[in-house]
Amino acid sequence: MARAITYSEALTEALAEELDRDPTVFFMGEDIGYGGVFGFAHGLQKRFGAERVFNTPISETLIVGAGVGAAITGTRPVVELQFADFVAIAMDEIYNKAAKWRYMHGGQFSVPLVILAPEGAIGGAGPEHSQCPEALFWSAPGLYVLTPSSPADMKGLLKSAIRDPNPVLIMPHKALLNTSGEVPDGDHLVPLGQAAVCRAGSDVTVVAWSAMVPKALEAARQLKGEIDLEVVDPRGIRPFDFEAVLTSVRKTGRLVIAHEASVVGGPGAEVAAVVAEKAILHLEAPIRRIGAADIPIPQSSFLERWVIPQVDDIINAVRETSGKAVSAAKLA
Amino acid sequence: MNERQLLGLYEGILRCMLWEQGLMSMQAEGRISGFYHSGRGQEGVQVGAIAAMAPQDYLLYAHRGCGYMIARGMPMEVVYSDFLGMMEGSTRGIGAGIVHIAWPSLGILGQSGTLGGSFTIAVGAALSARIRKENKVVVCFFGDGTANRGTFHEAANAAGVWKLPIVWLCENNGWAVSTTFKESCAVSSIAERAAGYGMPGVVVDGQDSAAVHEATRVAIERARSGGGPTLIEALTCRFRGHYEGDAQEYRDRGELDRQRKDRDPVEIMAARIRSSVPNAEKELEAISERVKSEVAGAAEKAKSGTMPPRSRIYDYVYA
Repeated sequence: MARAITYSEALTEALAEELDRDPTVFFMGEDIGYGGVFGFAHGLQKRFGAERVFNTPISETLIVGAGVGAAITGTRPVVELQFADFVAIAMDEIYNKAAKWRYMHGGQFSVPLVILAPEGAIGGAGPEHSQCPEALFWSAPGLYVLTPSSPADMKGLLKSAIRDPNPVLIMPHKALLNTSGEVPDGDHLVPLGQAAVCRAGSDVTVVAWSAMVPKALEAARQLKGEIDLEVVDPRGIRPFDFEAVLTSVRKTGRLVIAHEASVVGGPGAEVAAVVAEKAILHLEAPIRRIGAADIPIPQSSFLERWVIPQVDDIINAVRETSGKAVSAAKLA
Repeated sequence: MNERQLLGLYEGILRCMLWEQGLMSMQAEGRISGFYHSGRGQEGVQVGAIAAMAPQDYLLYAHRGCGYMIARGMPMEVVYSDFLGMMEGSTRGIGAGIVHIAWPSLGILGQSGTLGGSFTIAVGAALSARIRKENKVVVCFFGDGTANRGTFHEAANAAGVWKLPIVWLCENNGWAVSTTFKESCAVSSIAERAAGYGMPGVVVDGQDSAAVHEATRVAIERARSGGGPTLIEALTCRFRGHYEGDAQEYRDRGELDRQRKDRDPVEIMAARIRSSVPNAEKELEAISERVKSEVAGAAEKAKSGTMPPRSRIYDYVYA
C-alpha cells in the first residue's frame, strides 16, 4: 500500500520514524524547536523531548562540528543547516572533519552524521539562499551527497542516511517541499548510490536530479510521440551510480544532463567526463549540459526564472541532441 | 598533593620529554619529517591536567608535542609508529604528525588538522555523552593562537548556554608561530573571555604541574556534577620553534634562555620533590632510569614495524 503525502511530510515522517526507532538519533539546528523555518521538525520536540530535538544558536560551524563530535562518540545526529548555501560557513566541518575524520584517524571512528540542508531556487531568496552546491562535494571523498526528487525518495533516502555509518549531506529542494507523491507504507528505505529510472525511453537519456527531475518528466510528456526520453535520477552525486547512466547511454546513444546548479564548474561535468571516457563510441551526438548561467542568482524572482533552467531548456537540448529537425510549429 | 602524586607528575613530565627526545633522534636519522611541533616546556600543563581526568573522559589534544597522548597512557611505541608511518601506528600507516593520532579506548578522539576545528567536536562529544546518559567530561586543549578562531566563540558559547561538561584548557605560551599574544588578542588574558560565555575563567602557572592538576581537578568536578564548563588558561613556555627547523629569529634570545633556565617544568618539579620528599635523589634517579629504558624500548619496538602496502591508501575512506 502507498499513500500520497508531500515531500515535506515525507521528510518529517522519516525523522520521526528514526527518532522513534533509535534512541541515539537526535536532531538539532536553528529554530527547529518550534518546527523550523521549513517545518521539517513539526511536532518532533513535543513528541521526543527537548533533549533530542533542540535549537542551536546561529552557529553553523558548531552545528556541523558538534555533529561530527557526537557522531564519533556513539550517537547518530541529524543536524540542519537552514539553507544549503550555508555549507560555505561550515565548509571546514563538512569537507575536512565530517568527510575525513575516519580516514585521517586510520578507520578508528565512523561518522554517522546527517546534514540536512535545503537547496535550490524558490523565487526571490537571492544569491545566498538559492544555490545548489553539490558540485563542491565531488572533491569530498568520505562524504555522501543526496538530492531527493520525490516524496518517496525523500523519506527513503533520509531514513537510509540516518542508518548509514558515513556522513551524509542531504539537500532537499525547497521548490519540491509542497509537491505530493505516493510513498510506500511501512519501513521505506531507499539504498544510497542507486539511480532510479524515472521513465524508460529509447531515444535520449536525460540524467536529472533534484527539482530537475519533475522538469525532465514534464519535458518527456511534452515530447511524447516525437522523442522518447529516458529519465535517470542518480538521487545525488556521492555515491554516483555511473553504471545506471552508462547502461542508459549505451541504449540511447544520446545524453542530456540537467541540473539546477550552473553548468560551469557544475556537478554534471564529472558525469559528462565519465560517459566520454567509458562510452564515447556509443554516443551519436555531443553530450549536452543544462544548468544555470555562470552568474550568481539574482534576488528578483522576475530575473531568477531566466537563470534557473526550465522545461523548455531541456526540450530544446533534447531536440538538438536527438538530431531531429526542429519545426517552427513545435517551437511556437 | 602527596609525595606519590608529585613523583607521579615528575615521571609523567619526564616521560613526555624523553619520548620527544627519542623522536628528535629519529628525525636526525632521517626517519621522519620536520612536521613536528615540539612540546618542550609545556609538559607540565599536559601531564598535570590529564592526571586529573577519569578513565572514561574524552580528550581533544592540541599540537604542542605528544605529551597529551603519552600522559593519557597511550602506548609510546604506537605514537612513534604514527610518526614513522608504520602499520603499527594508531592511524595504521596513514601517518600522523602531531595531529590525527587517536586512541578511542582512552577517549583520545583525534584532532583537527585545521586549528580550532576541535572546539566544536568537543561540544559534540559532550552532547553525545549527555544524550547517552554517560558521565563523561571532555578536556579540550588549545593554544592561545587557536583561541582566536571563530569556532572558539561558537563552541564556548554553546557549552556555556547548554552547561556542558567541558574543560577548555588553553596553553598560553605567548606565541602563535611568530605572532605574539599581545599583538593578536584584544584582552590581556584568554581567561577573561570566560565571562562572555557564562563560565569561570581561571589563570594558572602552567610550569607548576601540581597547580594545573588542582585547577583541572576542580573544573572536572564542577563539570561532572552538572556545573558546566570552565576555561583554564595555563601560562606556559615554548622552548623550541613552532616546527623543527624554525630558528625562532623573531624571538628575544635572552628571554628564551631565561625561560629554558628558570621555567623548565622538569626542573621545577624536581626542585619541589627535593624540598619535600625524603630520599628525593634516589627516587628521581630510579624514575629516570625506568623511564629512559621504557622510552628506548618503545623506540626500538617501533622501528621494527612495517610500512603500509600501496593498497592502504584506499582503506577507511567510507565505513
